[in-house]
Amino acid sequence: MIKLFSLKNAKKDGESPKTGTQKKSSAAQLRIQKGFVILDINELNLPKTCGTEFPDPDDLLTFKLVICPDEGFYKGGRFIFSFKVGPNYPHEPPKVKCETQVYHPNIDLEGNVCLNILREDWKPVLTINSIVYGLQYLFLEPNPEDPLNKDAAEVLQNNRRVFEQNVAKAIRGGYVGQYYFQRCLK
Amino acid sequence: MDSEYSHRKLSHLRKVLERSGPFCRPDFEPSSESLKFLMQTCKILVIGAGGLGCECLKNLSLMGFRQMHIIDMDIIDLSNLNRQFLFRHKDIGASKSETAAKFINDRIPGCNVIPHFCKIQDKNEDFYRQFHIIICGLDSIIARRWINGMLVSLLIYENGILDQSTVIPLVDGGTEGFKGNIRVVLPGLTACIECTLDLYPPQITYPLCTIANTPRLPEHCIEYVKVIQWPKENPFDCSIDGDDPQHINWIYEKSMERAVNFGIQGLTYRLVQGVVKNIIPAVASTNAVIASICCTEVFKLASSCSPSLNNYMIFTNTDGIYGYTYEAEKNINCLTCSQTIKEIEIKSIYIKLKDLIQLLCSKNDLQMKNPGITANISGKIKTLYIQSVPSIEEKTRQNLSKTLFDLGLRENSEIIVADVTTPNTIMLKIKLLKNS
Amino acid sequence: MASPIPKSPEQSEKNRKYDRQLRLWNDHGQALLEGAHICLINANALGTEILKSLVLPGIGAFTIIDGNKVTEEDIGSNFFLDADSVGKSRAHVSTQFLLELNPDVRGDYIDEGPEQILNNSPDFFNNFNVVIACAILEKSLIILAKKLWELDIPLIVCKTIGFVGYIRVQVKEHTIIEMHPDNEIPDLRLNKPFELLKTYFDSIDLNNFDIRDHSHTPYVIILYKYLQQWLINYQDIPRTKIEKEQFKQMIIDGVRKDENGIPVDEENFKEAIKAVNICISHTSVSNSLKEVLNDNSCINLNSKSSSFWIIAKAIKDFMENEGDGLLPLKGALPDMIADTEKFISLQQVYHKQANTDIEAVWKRTLQLLRQLGKPSDSISEKDVKLFCRHASELCIQRGSSLANEYDAKLINTNEIAQSLENPESLMVYYVVLRGVEKFQAEYNAYPGEFDDHVEPDIVKLKACISKLLGEWGCAPLAKDDYVHEFCRFGGAELHSVSAMIGGLVAQETVKFITHQYKPINNTFIYDAVTCSGSTFIF
Repeated sequence: MIKLFSLKNAKKDGESPKTGTQKKSSAAQLRIQKGFVILDINELNLPKTCGTEFPDPDDLLTFKLVICPDEGFYKGGRFIFSFKVGPNYPHEPPKVKCETQVYHPNIDLEGNVCLNILREDWKPVLTINSIVYGLQYLFLEPNPEDPLNKDAAEVLQNNRRVFEQNVAKAIRGGYVGQYYFQRCLK
Repeated sequence: MDSEYSHRKLSHLRKVLERSGPFCRPDFEPSSESLKFLMQTCKILVIGAGGLGCECLKNLSLMGFRQMHIIDMDIIDLSNLNRQFLFRHKDIGASKSETAAKFINDRIPGCNVIPHFCKIQDKNEDFYRQFHIIICGLDSIIARRWINGMLVSLLIYENGILDQSTVIPLVDGGTEGFKGNIRVVLPGLTACIECTLDLYPPQITYPLCTIANTPRLPEHCIEYVKVIQWPKENPFDCSIDGDDPQHINWIYEKSMERAVNFGIQGLTYRLVQGVVKNIIPAVASTNAVIASICCTEVFKLASSCSPSLNNYMIFTNTDGIYGYTYEAEKNINCLTCSQTIKEIEIKSIYIKLKDLIQLLCSKNDLQMKNPGITANISGKIKTLYIQSVPSIEEKTRQNLSKTLFDLGLRENSEIIVADVTTPNTIMLKIKLLKNS
Repeated sequence: MASPIPKSPEQSEKNRKYDRQLRLWNDHGQALLEGAHICLINANALGTEILKSLVLPGIGAFTIIDGNKVTEEDIGSNFFLDADSVGKSRAHVSTQFLLELNPDVRGDYIDEGPEQILNNSPDFFNNFNVVIACAILEKSLIILAKKLWELDIPLIVCKTIGFVGYIRVQVKEHTIIEMHPDNEIPDLRLNKPFELLKTYFDSIDLNNFDIRDHSHTPYVIILYKYLQQWLINYQDIPRTKIEKEQFKQMIIDGVRKDENGIPVDEENFKEAIKAVNICISHTSVSNSLKEVLNDNSCINLNSKSSSFWIIAKAIKDFMENEGDGLLPLKGALPDMIADTEKFISLQQVYHKQANTDIEAVWKRTLQLLRQLGKPSDSISEKDVKLFCRHASELCIQRGSSLANEYDAKLINTNEIAQSLENPESLMVYYVVLRGVEKFQAEYNAYPGEFDDHVEPDIVKLKACISKLLGEWGCAPLAKDDYVHEFCRFGGAELHSVSAMIGGLVAQETVKFITHQYKPINNTFIYDAVTCSGSTFIF
């Protein structure tokens, strides 16, 4: 048990730093909150289809993930996701949005992504890497069971061939139904 | 002056501080000095002037403390008045910290409560270093983690040994309905907030596809409006403000529309508010219980009269009164409190970054593979080099051939290193070899 | 459903002010609180802290009884006095300060001690909902306790000395309607489906569903379907662990397979398997509920019976008739993976039946009211609805009389002797506190109250305790430590310890008034040095 105050000399200095100790900058504690992110970023073990872009290397909390699937329906496309890591990471997951318009049952036209670990199944032990793998999997195995884009899901469920054609059309740029998709070929 | 401390008013406190007892801490020395210390010297910071904060100021002032600061960025709202008893109807809209401080200073003669109407993040190390103990009554995990990080960063290690005079105990309380918890954190010595981050339950969220396509509960409808419809329609050209009745009204109406369309019953205005603002039920009595235990712990720490809570206590009073105490364990891999700063000796501050990296890879006690390095340079985190991320590698490659000096590093600068060889980041302080 | 979407309702000032607590005990709990009148005996720090936590949430009214004048010591520990209060009536000053907290609350005081009131106006206490006594002397306590026991008014006695706190609740009979359990067991009736539910279940054929419908079928339906299959071969629902495992396997085998014969990921089936243990069981009535329904007060209603017992009897009659041995249906369906349409239609089946059951219980209630000669509006349909929704949680607590506890021949000495065997038990504090009361009665002061009396008081307090233990037939205390500790305290009231006990007493008071949540039965002791608390039954 430590005795925190020996009463005789326990008077704390005012707002001046203690003498004889190293100077601390006001961002000293930032390292603690960003520690998680530095660790996560350094350990990013990207599959060869994924890449990251950090517009500002000093800001590890804001970056983009680029996925270029090399198999499946989405082969040949290039899809960009924005990541924002908030101050409550890893208690809360990063905010992820898809910046590329994509014809996908689990991604809506506003860029909302339905991936369980981005919301209800997030746990602090998960990392940015887990999300990257989750997103990559979405392109390999789009899941029509619980869709965000219902039209795309229905097509996938009823006619995989038509779905494949629609995806290809969207990637090349063009209308699928009433929606126009911007070209996102690699 | 001395008569003030021997005043009859304080006789309750004097009995436990000036008399010894069989259950006191072995190092407790009963004397009138203890009370003098509490009243004159001991400086306490109360974080949060809400339900717990108001109670804490009252409790501490009647337990002999006179030098207190209180910090809170909020203003008083009507819904606070059912428990935040230092506020009245006329105070709605005023600063919580200022109103609370004034109330206590007026009621308790000699009390010197200093308010800070700002965020905790607006204050720096020098501010926090002045306190003997910090007591925390917050509903935000972010803020708790921040103050915890701050207190850990104030620790000073000499040759790897913690200088105990730099430890500022953190007493933290939280409530929800008829339940609550209290913990005592001795930064660097016992489990910190970050060690036990998984104790905080995750916020309730629903799968996006459920709220979008198969809503079943009124909550699903509200979440839909909040997460998908609001950003799409952006009705007020700003993000949602849970305290703006116009915003809540809009969400209520849209959610109700959705609920009716799907045949979902049970959507109420109260529920909409609760979901949008993530409201936690709160009641005066539970705040009183939790805050008073926190303050008893502060009293014990400050006077050493009794052993401290070790270190976590929960109350569940929905079925009788049930309190449970246990010791939360320090996480040896805690990113916040388990890293003691190591020193790395270099020949000169004019060596190049790539030489430093080579040193990190070759040094016997490090043997890193491809370290990613960031540094704290005049208060900002800068990325010096991360090899494993191509876009960063590309932008930081030119740093490799710069000298540490040119990169802004000096003796005693701290660098933060992550590497596959450790599960944790490592903090290194740059030291110059003496004979060079 | 063509009605227009309602506009946002106007929120009343009161709703906004009490929002955070209404989320706990709801509007009907708040109404009870606002109709309650409580009495506090002695406005010391503990007493005013209790009232603070009752005035803030908006209790109807309070009355303080206190014949003391404010002392310097009071000011040092009691927040609801100020430096100018010394010498004034403590009842008066604290009433004024407490009323500042909430303009919705009425408060008055009587500048007399409980002794005078018990002597002069014995009917004074008849109309309170709860009486709280702080720092009351043993002699008056016993008279008061007897009186309130007869009146069937809850009495809470509490005190703190130094780091130790004590709460004793005396209540003859307390009924609880809403327990607010952390985990509610769903009322699904899978083994005994009501007609409506059976028809609904039978209208569904899982085999005809395409994969989308199959994987969006609520687990309740899945469980029912496989239970039917199970009952082809077995007499009874799966009960043993092995049977439950076999049953789970049946469900696992029911998961759809893809073209390669690999089971598809069907989340709803996973939920079904998880739910087997809780949901596949005989719908039964808990022991505590049986106790309510078989209670004499339930069986033999009379003109004095409370609404609780009348509705309980209506439920009992319902069970014995149209309920077919079962409680009225809760009507709530937990959330589960399903598409909206299937979930809502299933939910409506449960709702509908719940409403039918409520209707039946309501009719029976009216019938009972008629038989008892009570006005038909003395119980509302809303009350019955709430009751039916929470029927499985109904609970009655019967306490014990304090007067008996203070009678050496009637006190539960077993509890004391047994607990004292355990050196960790907080029972020792009970014994010492009782000794302190004896000491006070004899010497008119707390042991150790005066600095120059600490040592002699140790001997005297020890004598008081030994005498008590002797009367109870218990062995003397193993150690003197606790005696020393209380003489050190010298009756000191530490504010933060009183504030803590005060918060707890306020919680218990709210429980009594609202009939929500379960109060302690019947004694709680807290040691702030070790942060430990224990409940004992006397």
